[in-house]
Amino acid sequence: MLLRKELVNVGIEASSQKDLLLKLANQFLAEGLVKPSFLQAILDREAVYPTGLPATAFDIAIPHCAASNVNETSMAVATLKHPVEFQQMGSVEITLHPQVVFMLAIQDPDKQLETLQKIMGVIQDKKLLEDIRAAKTVDELYGLLAPKVS
Amino acid sequence: MSKKVKFLSVCGSGVVTSHMMANKIVDMLSDEGYDAEADECNPSELDGYLMRGKYDFIANSSPIGNSHGIPAFSAMGLITGLGDNEFLEKVLDLLHKEGK
Repeated sequence: MLLRKELVNVGIEASSQKDLLLKLANQFLAEGLVKPSFLQAILDREAVYPTGLPATAFDIAIPHCAASNVNETSMAVATLKHPVEFQQMGSVEITLHPQVVFMLAIQDPDKQLETLQKIMGVIQDKKLLEDIRAAKTVDELYGLLAPKVS
Repeated sequence: MSKKVKFLSVCGSGVVTSHMMANKIVDMLSDEGYDAEADECNPSELDGYLMRGKYDFIANSSPIGNSHGIPAFSAMGLITGLGDNEFLEKVLDLLHKEGK
């Protein structure tokens, strides 16, 4: 699992969900981790099958899309300066306000089950989520998350 | 000899979420003495999978249309860790009713 500091964001500013998704997706693209199609695929997928989740500590979101758009499995994390709306996975009529967003680019889900399990571990760890939200710098946030997903 | 269970894990992209759910369900059922096997798909592939295979239940994170009589349980809680016990109870209830 690749967590690079270039994809770690503390207090990211976004004017809308679309703005946030594109900002994060472009970070992957800048590092060559995804194909250009990734940008639209992320937006399309979120519109039809939203990824907001009411997790243990607070709402989060895990935007992702089909593996065909991905070159290398990687992950971006962002704590948000202002709440952004996401619809809840499986219940599109419910609006959530995630405070942490994990954008996932998974290249081969079959072979990367362990990676997905680690991500699930992070999502289910209340204390870790709270620490992530409270992180003040990229280094701090990176230090919290990197050991858990490597 | 473990009892065999087959289920279908359905999520929006048929990839990430369905994998996470399927894996967790297989583990939970294994603890209960079941040998569970999962197929994964997205909602538009559902009909095709249901026609080709026989499943004891469906675990979904995205809304699915007609499940053709196969019991479907929302498994979103498995990813967040909230509500996984309820999910397990529902599945075990169903399996016991089926005589498994």
